[in-house]
Amino acid sequence: MIRRFSAGLAAPAALAALLAAAPAAAKEDFVLEDEVAVCTGCHGEAGVPVEPDYPVIWGQQYFYIFTQLRDYGAGRRQNDVMTGIAAEYDRDQAKLLAEHFAGLAWPDIPSQTEEGDAALAEKGITGGQCSACHGKWQGDSRIPRLAGQQAGYLARTMEDFKTDVRMNAPDKNSTMKQLDDATIAALSRYLSDLDIQ
Amino acid sequence: MAEWSSKASLVCVALVVSSAATAQEETSASTLYGDLQSVTQNMLTRAAGDGNNFLHTNGNYAQTRYYPASQIDAGNVRNLRPAWIFQTEIVDTMETSPIVVNGVMYVTTAFNHVYALDARTGRQIWHHKHAMGPVTTYCCGPNNRGVAVAGDKVFMGTLDAKLVALDAKTGKQLWETQIAEAELGYSETMAPSVVENMVLIGTNGGEYGIRGFVKAFDTETGELIWTFHTVPEDSTGVWATHDATGRDMMRDIEAEKAALASMGDPYETLGGGVWQNPAVDLETRRIYFVVGNPSPDLDGSLRPGDNLYTDSLVSVDLDTGEYVCHFQYIAHDVWDLDAVSPPILTMVQDEAGNDVKGVLHGGKTGHVYVHKADDCSMIRFSEAMVPQENMWTLPTAEGARMLPGANGGVEWSPMAIDPQLRLSYAINLHQPMTYTVRSTPYPEGKLWLGGSFDVIADEEQWGNVTAVDYDTGRIAWQVRTAEPMIGGILATAGGLVFTGEGNGLFKAYDSSNGAELWRFQAGAGVNAPPSSYTVEGQQYIVVAAGGNAQLNYKRGNNIIAFTLAD
Repeated sequence: MIRRFSAGLAAPAALAALLAAAPAAAKEDFVLEDEVAVCTGCHGEAGVPVEPDYPVIWGQQYFYIFTQLRDYGAGRRQNDVMTGIAAEYDRDQAKLLAEHFAGLAWPDIPSQTEEGDAALAEKGITGGQCSACHGKWQGDSRIPRLAGQQAGYLARTMEDFKTDVRMNAPDKNSTMKQLDDATIAALSRYLSDLDIQ
Repeated sequence: MAEWSSKASLVCVALVVSSAATAQEETSASTLYGDLQSVTQNMLTRAAGDGNNFLHTNGNYAQTRYYPASQIDAGNVRNLRPAWIFQTEIVDTMETSPIVVNGVMYVTTAFNHVYALDARTGRQIWHHKHAMGPVTTYCCGPNNRGVAVAGDKVFMGTLDAKLVALDAKTGKQLWETQIAEAELGYSETMAPSVVENMVLIGTNGGEYGIRGFVKAFDTETGELIWTFHTVPEDSTGVWATHDATGRDMMRDIEAEKAALASMGDPYETLGGGVWQNPAVDLETRRIYFVVGNPSPDLDGSLRPGDNLYTDSLVSVDLDTGEYVCHFQYIAHDVWDLDAVSPPILTMVQDEAGNDVKGVLHGGKTGHVYVHKADDCSMIRFSEAMVPQENMWTLPTAEGARMLPGANGGVEWSPMAIDPQLRLSYAINLHQPMTYTVRSTPYPEGKLWLGGSFDVIADEEQWGNVTAVDYDTGRIAWQVRTAEPMIGGILATAGGLVFTGEGNGLFKAYDSSNGAELWRFQAGAGVNAPPSSYTVEGQQYIVVAAGGNAQLNYKRGNNIIAFTLAD
């Protein structure tokens, strides 16, 4: 459901205005099952997304999903499909969707690493101090699970942070600029191949 | 049973030993396994001389981490062996300080699990898992540094910014209080402190744009008694241009004044977390704590002024929370080289060589700062314990290299002292980093660093254990370690200091000269402060080996108690 969207760097004043924006009105004809059906069109019937650069949301952290829906809706995270969908939900509707998907089982998606990925990934993790927030990659609350996430989505997300396409976690932009393309690729494969302990 | 030092040549030491002997007599008769005797205020007050229990996160109200028992000493520590190993349910970062009450130990894990254990055998007595709310916001790892004990209760702060009271006998929750709003970036990883009817606790959140505080809650009900905001409504200060050591901090004061005029005081989102316990002086009824970095960490453009009382030692009235005095180490910090390690109260020599009541703090800058307790003023600062380069180079858009890196020096790790040797013991990091600034607006409770500090992966990292003579500021001895150090340290009357490393090594050093006397490989990072206790005449050293999220040291789930082999 998520496609790349090059919005460029939003001015701080514009972002501040977005942060102060009035909350969305409730979607009038909201039925959870219907909304879930829309989501599964891209995120998958059994939790396996239909494209490699779409994220797994089954079993993702509740508050992270909620926050991302709110950020899409408010324009803090931009995507030509998700922005329109999420803008229709109010807080309670976004929470219902987040609760639904957080309660599902994370899918088992085959992944493949390349020789040298682990060493390069660990070097990137040390440099970016990634584990300080992401811990053992299992996610918690507003921190997303990364273990077992699709490598294509992870790579695109890191690139989007690095190139200032994604701006709703601004400190990631600085961190990702320290990582070269090879490290991002290795890190993506490495994380996608991990299971939570 | 503890053996008491005979080296009481100084008056203050004689006092410690005297009170220790009294406490030993009073508690030895009731130190039986499983006797869950209430923790009285008298026990908490006299903990510095209690060679049976370990009642405070940092040993006693003065936070000396100097344990008065000496059964394990420099001569026999080579015979130290594991007595038992307890494995917790959670295999993740561990920063807990084990608390021991009459043979019962209380430890915590990541994600706020609490265990009561038989301190003699490691057998589990009860296990409490906090019912975590859906929103937690924390840096740096889902840590917890332990409990406070008083009466028949055990107190813990939680990642979802609550204070909970548990029944010490059963682990059942008695009450809980929401300390602050987790969605806005408030969380708790520090251990609380208890004084009389009050539970004292600060807050995390300096990386999320909170307004920091220390609060006092009623031990019986959880009701708020007082709040001290670590950031006053006028946070401007004196426009200090130099840090505590006299270095120019390269501030553009005129630009800051112009920014202040246009945007107003930034106090509402200025950070100022308090990560560690206060030192308590019951004689003057004051507490002393250190306040962490301003928010956003690296971007000073959004927060003109000195950003009081961030990066400061602060003293407030114990009964009211009213401000008494402060000393700011770094005004308008843009490097996150803040004040985190808990302060220590002890007698120190002033500039004239007179013994005065003092406060020690180990800074991320790599200095041990020595203060007068009465007015918080600084007497001296120590030689740098780690390399310092390019201080204070301002962060840039491309990233500017400066040492120390943002983790220190001394991180949150508590120091210890030996009041006989007049030495402080600190563990340090050497982690070269670049400091990058990137201005972004307040993000509503999300991480708000205003840039990044990034480890220079190609440069060597290491750590050290450093003893400083706090009467002179000179380094007495220093031992280098293979990896940056985080966790904590314990000194004992047996002439020893104990501390662990990220590579799993747990070591004992001669406290007078740094000679390594013993080591044990724990199998996971030993990144938590050790404690000691005595049960049925047998002294133990105990430490958690669970690794560390912040530095990505190997995780584990072991509580390991050591005692002398038969």
